[in-house]
Amino acid sequence: MTCPRCDHSTIAVMATSPVPDVWELLRCARCGYAWRTTEPARRTTRAAYPKVFQLTQADIDAAVEVPVVPEQ
Amino acid sequence: MERTRLMAYDDLRAFLAELDKNGQLLSISEEVTAEPDLAAAANAVSRVEGSPALYFDNVQGFRDAKIALNVHGSWPNHALALGLPPDTLVREQVEEFARRWENFPVPPVRRVSPPWAENTRTGDEVNIFDVLPVFRLNDGDSGFFLDKAAVVSRDPTDPGNFGKQNVGIYRLEVKGPRRLGLQPAPMHDIAIHLQRAEESHEDLPIAIAVGNDPAITLAAATPMAYDQSEYELAGALRGEPAPIATAPLTGLDVPWGSEVVLEGVVEGRKRELEGPFGEFTGHYSGGRKMPVVRVDRISYRTNPIYESLYLGMPWTELDYLIGPATCVQLYQQLKADFPEVQAVNAMYTHGLLAIISTKTRYGGFAKAVGMRAMTTPHGLGYCKMVIVVDAEVDPFDLPRVMWAMSTKVNAAADLVNLPNLSVLHLDPSSEPAGISNKLIIDATTPVPPDRRGRFEQAVHDLPETGDWVRRLQAVRKGKP
Ligand SMILES: [Zn+2]
Repeated sequence: MTCPRCDHSTIAVMATSPVPDVWELLRCARCGYAWRTTEPARRTTRAAYPKVFQLTQADIDAAVEVPVVPEQ
Repeated sequence: MERTRLMAYDDLRAFLAELDKNGQLLSISEEVTAEPDLAAAANAVSRVEGSPALYFDNVQGFRDAKIALNVHGSWPNHALALGLPPDTLVREQVEEFARRWENFPVPPVRRVSPPWAENTRTGDEVNIFDVLPVFRLNDGDSGFFLDKAAVVSRDPTDPGNFGKQNVGIYRLEVKGPRRLGLQPAPMHDIAIHLQRAEESHEDLPIAIAVGNDPAITLAAATPMAYDQSEYELAGALRGEPAPIATAPLTGLDVPWGSEVVLEGVVEGRKRELEGPFGEFTGHYSGGRKMPVVRVDRISYRTNPIYESLYLGMPWTELDYLIGPATCVQLYQQLKADFPEVQAVNAMYTHGLLAIISTKTRYGGFAKAVGMRAMTTPHGLGYCKMVIVVDAEVDPFDLPRVMWAMSTKVNAAADLVNLPNLSVLHLDPSSEPAGISNKLIIDATTPVPPDRRGRFEQAVHDLPETGDWVRRLQAVRKGKP
């Protein structure tokens, strides 16, 4: 399994369902995309994830700071 | 209209009970999924008659999750939040909001033993996921957001100043058991606090109150001056002092009746990818590098109610939450310079478009009113289009506004296109982001020396029409 949004392969488990074995909340170590394993495929699989929301490392690097950190 | 039926709610639960009593709370007891059901239901409810609040207590995989959505999301709900009869007309709700604001400031009352003190976790024992059943709203959202919490911070250079303590609603992305992303737009008060902390290489203490009485949320959603206290506005809106309590870790003032209180710091000089998130513009925000919050303490009622709101394509709950406050703020600022201004309807996308009715003293006056709207504090980030109509046109009556636009406007002289002005970054049409032309549409009747058009022979309501409205309504209700 890779991140639906950026295709990165390091995924962490952020939380598990209070009722055991129903779902997990996962989070991508690179882009921070988070999802619940029971969500529809369009949110949980790379293949079905909409192109318009996909991210690359270059996109992440290019993201602007809001607000800008003040000068030293 | 009965305007005195003031009813103050001390917490979210009291207000949910009142909504229920008025048929404005829909409880869904069958099992639903966290996604996509919760957001889809909240997205759908605006199309259901009365647009009631929603309450879910049976969510797949959770044991005790209780979720309230759309609490402010209709005119009846907004009226009840102000203690007004649920059938109060929109314009009357806005006018009543303005009248109560005139009682500002109403100092809060400090109370002990807040119900959220029942349970506490600190340090690495903090786990937001154990307490709040967070869920995704829209497909392109980067994750799970708290989007209706009151975020409290102080000016680090003036920490004793109660007025400069800010209570605002800023979106928070849940990034881990005790880690959040925070969106402070540069024009927001919390961004000023953060900048001052970061200039001295410090973290900014904050408290995040989830699940609040409806007046606190209305006040937190209101654009106020930097040194004005939202708690003192909440008191004015509810007609009695707002109950507050001291947050145990940070000493910040938080609502006494909250369901959950998170405390911690915005980590100084740190930025991390946040978003995208489907925003009130009906478009996604894009991903930006934004500040990060470390949560050091969580306090909560046993089985807390998680209050959240759906936003996306307007109208959504957020528009009811922010619309009236935006109208009142703009109205007050305009009225201070131009007593001729009658009413302001700035409820469209937080006032990116505003409609102002005014008397016109001389030719060109309406255009000056439009320009002034753009230079108010709120207008600097909004008011991309201002439609100015005559005093007789109710700006909340959109068919009348369209009548004024269609008959009074001649593009030869009634459009003012102002280049390269400031607008909020989230406006998807701005280019570059944050810069846009702004447009005044003068839909008032030209007055001398601006002599244009042929408006001398206007048709007016018959003098007897008002009487007949009342007579026909009485007949319809079956009364003599
Ligand atoms: Zn990723």
